[in-house]
Amino acid sequence: MPTSVITTRSAGGRDKQPLSFALSGAVVAFMILVGLMIGPAGPQWWRIPAELLDHLPFVSLDSGISRADWNLVWQIRAPRVVLAALVGSMLSVSGASYQGVFRNPLVDPYLLGVAAGAGLGATIVFTLQRETTSSWIIDPLPLAAFIGALCAVLVTYVVGTAFGSVRSGTTLVLAGVAVTSMLTAIQAFVLQRNSDVVRQVYSWILGRLSSATWGDVRLILPYVVVSSVVLLLHRRLLDVMRVGDDEALALGINVRRVRLIVVLAATLGTASVVAVTGLIGFVGIIVPHAVRLIVGASNRVVLPMSMMLGAAFLVAADIPSRVLASPAETPIGVVTAFIGAPFFLLLLRTRDVSR
Amino acid sequence: MNKLTKAGIAGFLFALTATIAGCGSSADTTDTTIAVEATELTATYPVTVGDLTLDAQPMRIISLSPTSTEMLYAIGAGAQVVAVDEYSNYPAEAVALGTMLSGFEPNIEAISGFTPDLVIASYDPGSLAGQLGSLNIPFFIASAPTNLDSVYEQIEQLGLLVGHVTEADQLVASMQTEIDAAVAAVVAPATPLSYYYELDDTYYSVTSNSFIGQLFNLFGLRNIADNVEAGNDYPQLSAEAIVSSNPDIIVLADTKCCAQTAETVAARDGWGGLAAVVAGNIALLDDDIASRWGPRIVELVVAIGEAITKASAK
Amino acid sequence: MTAIGFCDLTVSYNGTDAVVGFNDLLHSGEWLCLIGPNGAGKSSVLRAAAGLVPYKGSVAINQTEIPAASARWRAQHIAYVPQAPVIPTDMSVYEYVLLGRNPYINYFSSETSHDRDVIDRVLDRLDLVQFSARKLGTLSGGEVQRLVIARALAQEAPVLLLDEPTSALDIGHQQQALELVDGLRREQGLTIISAMHDLTLAGLYADRLVLMHEGHRVAEGTAKQVLKSETLAEFYGVSARVHHEADGTVVVIPQRSSRL
Repeated sequence: MPTSVITTRSAGGRDKQPLSFALSGAVVAFMILVGLMIGPAGPQWWRIPAELLDHLPFVSLDSGISRADWNLVWQIRAPRVVLAALVGSMLSVSGASYQGVFRNPLVDPYLLGVAAGAGLGATIVFTLQRETTSSWIIDPLPLAAFIGALCAVLVTYVVGTAFGSVRSGTTLVLAGVAVTSMLTAIQAFVLQRNSDVVRQVYSWILGRLSSATWGDVRLILPYVVVSSVVLLLHRRLLDVMRVGDDEALALGINVRRVRLIVVLAATLGTASVVAVTGLIGFVGIIVPHAVRLIVGASNRVVLPMSMMLGAAFLVAADIPSRVLASPAETPIGVVTAFIGAPFFLLLLRTRDVSR
Repeated sequence: MNKLTKAGIAGFLFALTATIAGCGSSADTTDTTIAVEATELTATYPVTVGDLTLDAQPMRIISLSPTSTEMLYAIGAGAQVVAVDEYSNYPAEAVALGTMLSGFEPNIEAISGFTPDLVIASYDPGSLAGQLGSLNIPFFIASAPTNLDSVYEQIEQLGLLVGHVTEADQLVASMQTEIDAAVAAVVAPATPLSYYYELDDTYYSVTSNSFIGQLFNLFGLRNIADNVEAGNDYPQLSAEAIVSSNPDIIVLADTKCCAQTAETVAARDGWGGLAAVVAGNIALLDDDIASRWGPRIVELVVAIGEAITKASAK
Repeated sequence: MTAIGFCDLTVSYNGTDAVVGFNDLLHSGEWLCLIGPNGAGKSSVLRAAAGLVPYKGSVAINQTEIPAASARWRAQHIAYVPQAPVIPTDMSVYEYVLLGRNPYINYFSSETSHDRDVIDRVLDRLDLVQFSARKLGTLSGGEVQRLVIARALAQEAPVLLLDEPTSALDIGHQQQALELVDGLRREQGLTIISAMHDLTLAGLYADRLVLMHEGHRVAEGTAKQVLKSETLAEFYGVSARVHHEADGTVVVIPQRSSRL
């Protein structure tokens, strides 16, 4: 009896988990530090950790960093790195949750219309004389993108569940495709009539971290935190849903309610992130898949690991974004796509993508 | 006054402004010391333009707008410019700086790496204002103008900011004179000529409400794109609409981007029979000059005038 | 004591009736087998009891009607084994059986040591301990069948619903699975309702048979009473002989049409 107990207990792989989490945490911290140290201008890289250590109590180090340089690191680079971590983390956990709740590995956080809704909202703001609106008390651009994203998902949900009592995830996905096409068409129409803002809209759509400020971080932090907490609380339920809607229902899960809550939470977080950084692609798909390759498909582990490795990933991807084509920026969406495309090919080659 | 006297005075004024303009441009190419001397005469700091106050003359200016670059060099502030954006391809001194900043996706760290004391852009693509503000770098937005007077105002604002007030005033005056002269030199026919302005080879055009359209208004020309789409000053016209309105003059502003010439236009299906094509009244503009609102709009106006003269002569 | 009772159960899909006025009472430990041609409504009865489709009428456990809103309550009292269960290939055996404990784990919590004890016992009983860490994709059909039953057992529900439990198995594994279920029934007093195609096996293991046709109950009773060749010909359209073995087993033997 004791032997079988030991076998079954360790069978869940539960004793490996604390190590994996600790390691991931270390990776994130390391990546953030590296992100702070590297940039197209500013102080020599080794001064920065020295200055950070100096801020610790009982530690006194002279890093030789100038006021202006430290200001650059703290006011310009730091919010960018922190924002990258928050965005990467949110998009990854959102993508992993969507993949879990729809049991579809090709799903990304923009699935149900978030991208198209946010894009349309942003386009409309851009057509309304951006120079004047950017100095309003509340910047309408992130607000419009946020509201646009939420409205799009709302429409998708209403359309997807309107046709009888539908518990199927596939119908929602299809509704999302329809709503996305519709909104994209409207956006194209608006752009055609306001062709002078095409460039600005396009650059917003490509996604950017270059204009990150501490204000942006403060803006999205509550949404990201609430959203992430709700999603993490539903990890186990997502695991139960891996056996399909019918069996999950028979096992006692209110499938409709869980799906609604998860979609709502993931959308809220994604919409807030998209509102300040535009549409950064690939993160929401690549990271959960990569995490599954490392730790297996159990959502209990995949969700928190995706949060951490997603943060590290985007912080890492942002470094070439600001350094590669210096003094110009390479849009971060381009960097993630460059990494994403070969990754997908690798995925096709090495593993059965079905679950 | 009779016509001869008028012509004489115009000619004298023209010669005078040409001389002064000539003096101004030679000042651009002199070295720093002489430029500094010249500016010491006209600079009084601190200066305030709008919300921006500069306490001292900026000696490390970054221009993220090709038009601002042209204006800065034209008013003698070229020596104070340390970096420009990738599209600032005029004058040659700006290109010689070798900097390739982006005005659309500004890399704030790279910008601060130049330790500028003034950054000028034509719009704020992101939170540039906020980010520069947190680094205490003065930021001035020289936005696209709606009319000719805004252009002159912008030149004078720049002149005040960079300490070249006199040169700015002189530039404005010479531009006004040259433009007036170019307009006056054209004998307009009784019925206003119509024109089609082409922005790119998919037939995006401008109405007479746009900035460039207003330059054409100086000559009393009729724009075939007016009233095509209410509220849209940059409508996309259909080939049929253009051909059926049979404009007297075709103005191509896509000679660089889309390699359009009189021959390519004539080769388009159905365009061969247009009055403008047959008579050869196709004006070719340099894309850059046509899309900026700096000192070189004078060349633009002159080119338009020549096209009209040619078209009127038939 | 009735373990499970059906009162006027009616199931409709898009206006078509799949089950009409199904009534039955099972006592604890009874094995009822639903038989009938395709589309007779057998699966629909099970799915309704499992709460997967809306129904009219009522289903009651120990005389308590199942509350419509509580999937958890239902899952604690009824365990459903579907015909074609979804088998996530890279889930481990342990994780899969753990799913059966879902009705007892609080919404946001994880499993407790009691839950783990139950899983250990179930794995032991079904001889799956050595497979604990194996991924589902590496198991054979027979092992998967045991696994699905294990998950159902982990639910500790008094009623077990089996939808075509033997369709995908070879004759040896069919017997193994049914013997296993029978053994568990006797040990734990489970009440079993199964829907089956194989009439001989149905007669062999079930206490009672109910023949369904187009949503209605058309015959009920022991194997001897229900499995008659006229009855089968009428409702299945099959030409079959029914043979009674010495020990009481009823064997249904399909007949070939005469060779020319």
